[in-house]
Amino acid sequence: MNWGMTMAEDDMELDQLFAQARRNRPEMPDDLVVRILTDAEMVRLDRMRPVIPPRSVWARILDGIGGWQSMSGLAAASAAGVWIGFAAPDFLPDPATIIYPQDTSFVVADLGLDATFLEDAE
Amino acid sequence: MEDLTSPLQDVRGAECAADTSDDALLRQFADGDAVAARQLTDRLGPRCFSVAMRMLGNRAEAEDVTQDAMMRLWQMASNWVPGQAKVSTWLYRVTLNLCVDVQRKKKPDRLDDAPEPEDEDLSAAERLQNAARKDALQSALSQLPDRQRQAVILRHIEELPNPEIAGIMGISTEAVESLTARGKRALAAILAGRQDELGYDDG
Repeated sequence: MNWGMTMAEDDMELDQLFAQARRNRPEMPDDLVVRILTDAEMVRLDRMRPVIPPRSVWARILDGIGGWQSMSGLAAASAAGVWIGFAAPDFLPDPATIIYPQDTSFVVADLGLDATFLEDAE
Repeated sequence: MEDLTSPLQDVRGAECAADTSDDALLRQFADGDAVAARQLTDRLGPRCFSVAMRMLGNRAEAEDVTQDAMMRLWQMASNWVPGQAKVSTWLYRVTLNLCVDVQRKKKPDRLDDAPEPEDEDLSAAERLQNAARKDALQSALSQLPDRQRQAVILRHIEELPNPEIAGIMGISTEAVESLTARGKRALAAILAGRQDELGYDDG
């Protein structure tokens, strides 16, 4: 048997089969084209949607109390309160004296107790 | 005077020019151009489908693989770096990988839906014989190991140059040559057993 000849024949036959396969390449069915283009459109529209960054907890709290404007008013009022607490104007009674009276005996006398009781208590 | 000494270079140069267009179309699609999607589908979809059909021998599976591969193309469009690789090379690789995934999931030897002959001028007998030959090729291809089948399909049916096949398969050009040579020998051996029923001895 002539193997060289057989190999050459085999190659020729294979080449014929390949050529035929190339001629008869399957065409994409229309519904597949539609499916592919639908996917493309979905991806395209999704990409064009504006990106809204997720809001932080602080941003949501700020929104709840009226935004940055109200926050600045709130901050100014708080600062004024703190300042008045530490350095009250002369015409206002000192809140520290009202809450914690400096003159203990005056208070005790007011309650009708004497100094002996105070000494015992101490 | 035309330089006939480097035909391969000419062919590859032409392919590069065509590929620049694929790059540009992909960029246009990423920028929101719907027409570019249609052009890319017309250009790349048939190649994808053809390879999937030959790899899987099943129309429904080939359609799903084609749709899936194209979907990945749409999704990666905005991340594509032009000039880094060929779009078609990337798509062939994705298609082959998806085919391998499908084959792993299904049982072997499903061969229910080979493409139909399309030549209207042939007689019924010739058409039957062509169908038998085509089925024979598909049947023989399905018996090849995965890598040999991939190399043979890309080389002899898709007619891609070996360097591009090497890029798609992630191997050297020499390895591609070896795979295609072994694949062809194996195909010839498989088909030799069926020569009589295919009518090749008719002259």
